[in-house]
Amino acid sequence: MPKLTINGQAVDVPAGTNLIEAARKIGVEVPHYCYHPALSIAGQCRLCMVDVEKTPRPTIACNTLAADGMAVWTETDRVKETRKSIMEFHLINHPLDCPVCDQAGECGLQIYYMKHGLYDPRMRDEKVHKPKAVPLGAHVILDAERCILCSRCVRFCDEVTGTGELGIFSRGDESEIGLFPGKELANKYSGNVVDICPVGALTDRDFRFAVRVWYLDSATSICPGCARGCNIEVHVNRRRPHHNDGRRVARLKPRFNADVNRWWICDDGRYGFAFVDDTSRLVIPRWSRDGALGDATWEEAIAAVAGALQRFAPDEIGVVASPKMANEDLWALRRILESRGIRRVAFRVPPRTPGDEDTLLIRRDKNPNSLGAELLGLEGDGAAILAAARARQVKCLWVFGHDLLASAWPVTETDAALRALELLIFTGPSANATSERAHFTLPAAAWVEREGTYTNFEGRVQRFRQAVQPLGQALPEWDILGRVLRALGVEAGATRAERWFRELASGVPAFTGLTYQSIGDGGAALSAPPGGGAAGSHLVSGHPPMGPGSRSPLP
Amino acid sequence: MTAPTVAFSEAQLAEVRRLQGLYPDGRAALLPALHLAQETFGHISLEVEEYVARLFDLTPAHVHEVVTFYTLFFREPKGRHVVAVCHNLSCHLAGAPEIVAHVRRRLGVDVGETTDDGRVTLQSVECLCACEHAPMMQVDDRYELDLTPEKVDRILEGLR
Amino acid sequence: MTATKILTRNFERADSHTLAAYRETGGYAAWQKAETLEPAAITEEVKQSNLRGLGGAGFPTGTKWSFIPKHHAGPVYLVINADEGEPGTFKDRYLLERDPHALIEGMLIAARAIRSATGFVYIRGEYIEPWRRFSAAVKEAYDAGYLGRGFDVVVHRGAGAYICGEETGLISSLEGKKGWPKLKPPFPAIKGAFGAPTIVNNVETICCVPHILTRGAAWFAALGTKTQGGTRMYSVSGRVRRPGVYEASVAITLRALIDDLAGGVTGNGRLKAVVPGGSSAAILRADEIDVTMDVDGLRNAGTMAGSAGVIVMDETVSIPEALMVVARFYAHESCGQCTPCRESTGWIYKMVRRIVEGRGRKDDLDTILDVARRGAGTTICAFYDGAVGPYVSYIEKFRAEFEALIPR
Repeated sequence: MPKLTINGQAVDVPAGTNLIEAARKIGVEVPHYCYHPALSIAGQCRLCMVDVEKTPRPTIACNTLAADGMAVWTETDRVKETRKSIMEFHLINHPLDCPVCDQAGECGLQIYYMKHGLYDPRMRDEKVHKPKAVPLGAHVILDAERCILCSRCVRFCDEVTGTGELGIFSRGDESEIGLFPGKELANKYSGNVVDICPVGALTDRDFRFAVRVWYLDSATSICPGCARGCNIEVHVNRRRPHHNDGRRVARLKPRFNADVNRWWICDDGRYGFAFVDDTSRLVIPRWSRDGALGDATWEEAIAAVAGALQRFAPDEIGVVASPKMANEDLWALRRILESRGIRRVAFRVPPRTPGDEDTLLIRRDKNPNSLGAELLGLEGDGAAILAAARARQVKCLWVFGHDLLASAWPVTETDAALRALELLIFTGPSANATSERAHFTLPAAAWVEREGTYTNFEGRVQRFRQAVQPLGQALPEWDILGRVLRALGVEAGATRAERWFRELASGVPAFTGLTYQSIGDGGAALSAPPGGGAAGSHLVSGHPPMGPGSRSPLP
Repeated sequence: MTAPTVAFSEAQLAEVRRLQGLYPDGRAALLPALHLAQETFGHISLEVEEYVARLFDLTPAHVHEVVTFYTLFFREPKGRHVVAVCHNLSCHLAGAPEIVAHVRRRLGVDVGETTDDGRVTLQSVECLCACEHAPMMQVDDRYELDLTPEKVDRILEGLR
Repeated sequence: MTATKILTRNFERADSHTLAAYRETGGYAAWQKAETLEPAAITEEVKQSNLRGLGGAGFPTGTKWSFIPKHHAGPVYLVINADEGEPGTFKDRYLLERDPHALIEGMLIAARAIRSATGFVYIRGEYIEPWRRFSAAVKEAYDAGYLGRGFDVVVHRGAGAYICGEETGLISSLEGKKGWPKLKPPFPAIKGAFGAPTIVNNVETICCVPHILTRGAAWFAALGTKTQGGTRMYSVSGRVRRPGVYEASVAITLRALIDDLAGGVTGNGRLKAVVPGGSSAAILRADEIDVTMDVDGLRNAGTMAGSAGVIVMDETVSIPEALMVVARFYAHESCGQCTPCRESTGWIYKMVRRIVEGRGRKDDLDTILDVARRGAGTTICAFYDGAVGPYVSYIEKFRAEFEALIPR
């Protein structure tokens, strides 16, 4: 453990720590562009100069490892003067048209110029011209004139995805990043190059010019796109509703979590939010009366659903829950199932095309909470429930979110099952072929419109927060289910997600000890490893997992 | 993938493999292989870059970085002869600008261009390190030294 | 002072590049002797000789060799920098063409000193004839059994990039990449070519080694100054009567080199300025040439010995125009890796060109000086510092000539 001083303050860091990270540890920011903790050291931008005692001139912090007894100074006069010079070099050929640049407001050049530059510009010669507005692929667009050649994007494609699409071509001030002519930036993580680009060279085709970044608000969240549960920020446009084509969610950005996704998210997750503001959203409870579908109030809809759950015998009721529901929702659902003694429950609906998977982040299971659903005891045989429906043993089916008609199950059989039902209830955020067939549809809030927790495939419970209000009259599933529960005459005090979670944590051994506070923004591991005997016992097995469990915490 | 229309002969492929074997890492043979490709195909087209990339298990972008970095790789078809006049300091002091102007007039092309008949590509280049014989130029693989307009004329006439 | 011929002793022979001629003049005797010496003893002898790198940096050669980790288990590489490209320098071309076996013998000895089994000779791509001559010599050396018995030589051609003369740019290029210099640390002696400890030496430097072995370190050291031994090959060009390669002691003065060896100044016959060590060396005025040409002598004069490429300018030469030519070179050859160099070499060229074309602005000269000084020392390699030498010295020493071109 080298022990050194930075600006006179002592700090201990692990061997192999560079001076940027060592300084970060005590809250000292060493400005830099090309350095990124996930990538190899390039040392190209030359901005991270610091003074190291007994060295003749400032040296780059990114390529200097902390050593025992080292004395580092980050704010000496000559360091500040060097930074100012380097800022000028960076801006010699950079267009100074910030007002029309989509990066404005979150641009490393703007920020550092104000902090470390503030020189009088003296470059009055013609700047070097390079290609502008070049689409690199479906998601990323390049303005080579704005590029400062930090090579982060190139190293990302070489070192993180291993796809090597990008290069720095030519040399001198004609150097430019780009693709091999005719190729596309088509790897599954391409959007990350936009995040790590410190300037306006690489921007997001989906987001650019949609809304200025200073109008955005942000909420911490979890990507619902697969079982990884990548940590994200949801950037929403609340303050200028006429911008961004009226869409509330402007973009998703990865949020660093060392144990889950580090700095990255995949493109499917990043651009998977369009449904939130889509016209296919369900926004009003609807019910079928006298053969015609019409709007209902929530009171009417809840009463109707509760009535149906009481009218049918428990064995005549099937429930297909969803691994896209939060733990809180699933717990509320479980309370209903228990109160009515409903045993025909499942949550897995096999997709028609198997999901893709890789070794970086992407999981084959495209649901954020399969493990949570499993731990809450909702595992069951969905195909058997449909078979029972076809046999008219199940007469009432409650489907959460899924489009059963788009699943791997034979469409004719699913169709026959749905036809055979006396009552189909659908709860979910968006309409689909299954919801079209429902007698009752209960609109659910999308994940960005509410809060809750997901349990990722590794048994990590992670919180997502509300970023916008629910669309129309949509409600979080836990709220809908809580109302149903109360309509069934069951005591259900929880009226906030956190209360549901507290109840869940005391009821399901794997979640013992977890609270919203302990989960925080970084997530927390389950108190029992997934997949082992400690997983919640199966509801159908008749051993309700309610008893106190003695579970050893994860190492 | 479309069938490649550029390909080395078996003997050339064997040579590439031999070159790769000379180094601790086969990638080191990339420059030699690109020289061989240029001799074979005339210039390094994008198609050639992709072909060579496959031989080295590199991405095309990585080969493109290399090809665009070095001045001796031609990315467009070049003339049957390449005339590269040195314009650096010693040659400049010895009249290189006049030599360049003279060659331009004689060939009817500007620097960087190829004559219409595909005979000569003209370049103006940095120091070729034969300053004791300034002004000088490289014509294909020969250094032509102590140039005068008359000598340049004789050299150009010899290029067919 | 007369020329001392050691490195160039065989240059007059038409067959000097052949093994037969080399052997006739005592070739490979040094290697025979070296084979009986311990590696450490060879390195010590070279240290004692005060041989300093003749490619440009002037670093003590024996000291460089001693940086190779003593008990390294894996391969160690010897890389010869034959990427001669410093404007005004052409000595290595002569050595490759006229005495290739001296380089091979020097490599054998150096390889023994650093325990290397493989040597790479990186020859600039434009050097076709030198490459052919040297390759032929390598074949002769294999046939004669000098090579292939514990030491192999691979001849590698560059492809046109001045930066590959920088030792880590050369290593990148040798590895099949763009010639981008590498971050230091690690230094090549610890982690160089292909990740292995590597020594990169200039052609002429290694050609000195056989002579040090046969005639002794003391003899070699005595040829030079207190801090630098031997002779070196001066490339003299520009406005002199007899441009060419001249071998002389490192203690020769610039004046003697120009007047005695190169036959004096041409043009109008009156000296105006001299570039003493390749274009990256700061320029000297006519009244500054009574300096010795060794590394320290020229450093004390505010310039550098560099590659010993001497470019002579008489009074009729336009210094602003000369700087424009030099600035164009640095703008063209900047590899593009580090921001200060990449962005400002092009800008400075634009400013100098404007001045020469009569479109200069009053503050251009101060801007160039300030930008150059601010960029100096901020980059990965010494290329930019090499550009700063001429930027600053041409303007500082001939400012009035620049100002005269700027419209009032």
